[in-house]
Amino acid sequence: MTDRKIEEIVVKRVFDAPVTEVWKYWTDAAYVQKWWGPRMFSCPMATLDVRVGGVSVVAMQSPDGQVFYSSWTYITVIPLEKIEYIHNLADKDGKTLDPVSVGMPADFPQGVQSTITFTKVGEDKTEMIVTEYFPVSSMSANAKLGLEQSIEKMAEAFAK
Amino acid sequence: MNVQIFQALAEPSRFSIVELLHGKPRSVGEIGEKLHIRQPQVSKHLKVLSDAGLVAVHPDAQKRVYALRPETLKKLDTWLSTYRTLWEERFDMLALAIADNKKIVGRKESL
Repeated sequence: MTDRKIEEIVVKRVFDAPVTEVWKYWTDAAYVQKWWGPRMFSCPMATLDVRVGGVSVVAMQSPDGQVFYSSWTYITVIPLEKIEYIHNLADKDGKTLDPVSVGMPADFPQGVQSTITFTKVGEDKTEMIVTEYFPVSSMSANAKLGLEQSIEKMAEAFAK
Repeated sequence: MNVQIFQALAEPSRFSIVELLHGKPRSVGEIGEKLHIRQPQVSKHLKVLSDAGLVAVHPDAQKRVYALRPETLKKLDTWLSTYRTLWEERFDMLALAIADNKKIVGRKESL
């Protein structure tokens, strides 16, 4: 069985800081806690282990006090260039758990790969691109096809 | 939103079939011709797409004609938008953190 990935979404933004600084916001626990999470959530805890095979555990706390933990298991770490990790909803020790057990829908996607790239664009500016890939298992042993297609683009085009 | 839809679209031929059907509904034979896929394969792929809710069949004289079910792709688009929004929000927070940090650094330097 070969796992293939499909590009799910791509989000880009240019930040007013050099790559060395933006990089800290992904690799230094104190910095991660300053921003990680949806609006209105706080990040009460971040335990980082940023290296291939390492697992970071990051918490997010909802306005009503509920805490959710995510694990990031790194598959690529190229300093100041690229981070790739597999994201899972987890317990506080980083162990993957069933989304339903924390009140999420059963089809909440686990095992999503996030790829983050950092590129210098002009003086003290960094373009960060996040691509998320949805995991799909294939039954075909020959499948080495890299799927370049973007499901996001297709869905957008057809939804009009 | 289910894994089935992603799994259905994950296969390149099925992705191509969905793209083709966006133009207009087609019979199994036409699909095979246009995409150079053998008919048994086309039928197999169409079954997967149909089970995932992406296509529906209706008979047209002697032929079985397949059409896209746009509501399924719209659902997918909505679902994906949620994740895009999540990231945009995170980026907003990151931009704020960076800006806040600049202010702190600015104050320290001006002391």
